[in-house]
Amino acid sequence: MTMTNTMTMTTAIRVLVADDARFMREMIREIIEPEGFQVIGEATDGVEAVEAFQNLKPDLVTMDIVMPRCSGLDSVRKILATDPQARVVMVSALGQESLVSEALEAGACDFIVKPFKPDRVLVTLRKAVTGRS
Amino acid sequence: MDVAKYRSLFLEEAGEHLAEMSRALLALEKDPSAAEPLELLFRMAHSIKGMAGSLEYDPITEVAHRLEDRIGRCRSTGGIGEPEELPLWFRALEELERLIGAVRASGAPPSADPALVRALAVAPAPAREPKKKAPTLR
Repeated sequence: MTMTNTMTMTTAIRVLVADDARFMREMIREIIEPEGFQVIGEATDGVEAVEAFQNLKPDLVTMDIVMPRCSGLDSVRKILATDPQARVVMVSALGQESLVSEALEAGACDFIVKPFKPDRVLVTLRKAVTGRS
Repeated sequence: MDVAKYRSLFLEEAGEHLAEMSRALLALEKDPSAAEPLELLFRMAHSIKGMAGSLEYDPITEVAHRLEDRIGRCRSTGGIGEPEELPLWFRALEELERLIGAVRASGAPPSADPALVRALAVAPAPAREPKKKAPTLR
């Protein structure tokens, strides 16, 4: 086993999960933590998400598109304004195609759709961090 | 997925959302042009839709989705149009309460009221400009 492989296996991808529903935050955590990701912070609205990003500097953010105080879309813009390299994956639902397009234009890497398909979530998040699936 | 755990989380969060939606509807009844309760209703319907979809509670997902769409259209067209709109949202809230209550009681929702689902699917009328006073002839 090479040093690179060892590091890949032992270094978890640090994730900030932003969603106003505890249900969804739990579900994302349950899908990703056994698969090499570590949830290092949670945010329950857009303002908290921007603050937590600045404090925690995660490798990746999952950002619900509809949140109180500051929408997911505005939060992505604020995060990318302070760190253009930030990796943000939007969490959307059926019927939110136009909001997703706006978020991608604003610089979000990709999106996942509720209800979650665990395989699709993992592929999308890995791709967002490494650039490949 | 631990269904019992997520059902419990759903019932807890959806119960809170229904109470907030009820307060928001009452606020809109007093002031149909208020933006904040409209935003809150939209988010709560969206959240219930997402959670119910994850648990495959299709009747709840459908009512919440149609209500969210309808509120979303009112948001984008500048507010509530016709006076019939709010009573329809009250009916949708009552239906969500009934369906979620059934999940609490028996573990699964019954079918949604088809007449309500059809009514929610019809596009709402756009908000109208406030009527201007006719000029007074002197």
